[in-house]
Amino acid sequence: MIDFLEQNSMYLVLIIALVIWAGIFLYLNKIDRNLKKLEREEQK
Amino acid sequence: MNNAYKIIVLVSITLVLIGTTVVPIPFIPGLGDKARIIYLHVPMSWIAVLSFLLSMIYSVQYLRKKDLVQDVKAQSAAEVGFLFTILATVTGSLWAKFNWGSFWNWDPRETSIFILLLIYGAYFSLRSAIENHDQKAKLSSVYAIIAFVTVPFFIFIMPRIVDSLHPADTIVDNQGKINMNPVMLSIFLFSLFSFTLLFFWILNVRMRTEKLKLSRISKNNS
Repeated sequence: MIDFLEQNSMYLVLIIALVIWAGIFLYLNKIDRNLKKLEREEQK
Repeated sequence: MNNAYKIIVLVSITLVLIGTTVVPIPFIPGLGDKARIIYLHVPMSWIAVLSFLLSMIYSVQYLRKKDLVQDVKAQSAAEVGFLFTILATVTGSLWAKFNWGSFWNWDPRETSIFILLLIYGAYFSLRSAIENHDQKAKLSSVYAIIAFVTVPFFIFIMPRIVDSLHPADTIVDNQGKINMNPVMLSIFLFSLFSFTLLFFWILNVRMRTEKLKLSRISKNNS
């Protein structure tokens, strides 16, 4: 695996980019869900 | 935002990242694999222009209706635009390090995006300097409209009238014809589309947060 990534560094870039993107997506989704809760409380 | 929209954003940005890194591109003299930056850097700039345009439109709507919700929408759009301008600057600067040898060269494109950052930085300074909500909204709306007038000049005109090292004919050539490999073009267009979807989600979250803040402030005041 390490040998493969050493020879194909673009895949390593892809893995890092996907991990960062997953973090951004989960964070954004969490804010969105919390906002929905607050909006519901505000309407009550 | 509904779950279907989120799933579309998740899948499309993931596909863009896969397309950016592992799909082979034709050899471009002087650029090579560094040409892949186009899939990320150009959408960032496009979103910056789009959000500053939206900020200007919401500012006009505020001045017409005197509705503070329009003002917080204008502020949110400017904030997201500022974030994407920083991202465009950082991605461009990293590319410049590997292509031109240094992170910052005061190239016309770099200079114009720097001035744009200062202009919109001043917008946030203006907002934070005024406490009265109505006065803040009125002055910053006028400022956002004037600030947007400079955007087409700094993004589209100035880099083209001054000699620049920045690649100018990677997408469209001098005759206005599309000058890009079909595979690259399709990934590039898909990237523009996907990042635009992501932008609207971020903008939606930011606007809802500000609207919630506004309604709590008005509840506390009443």
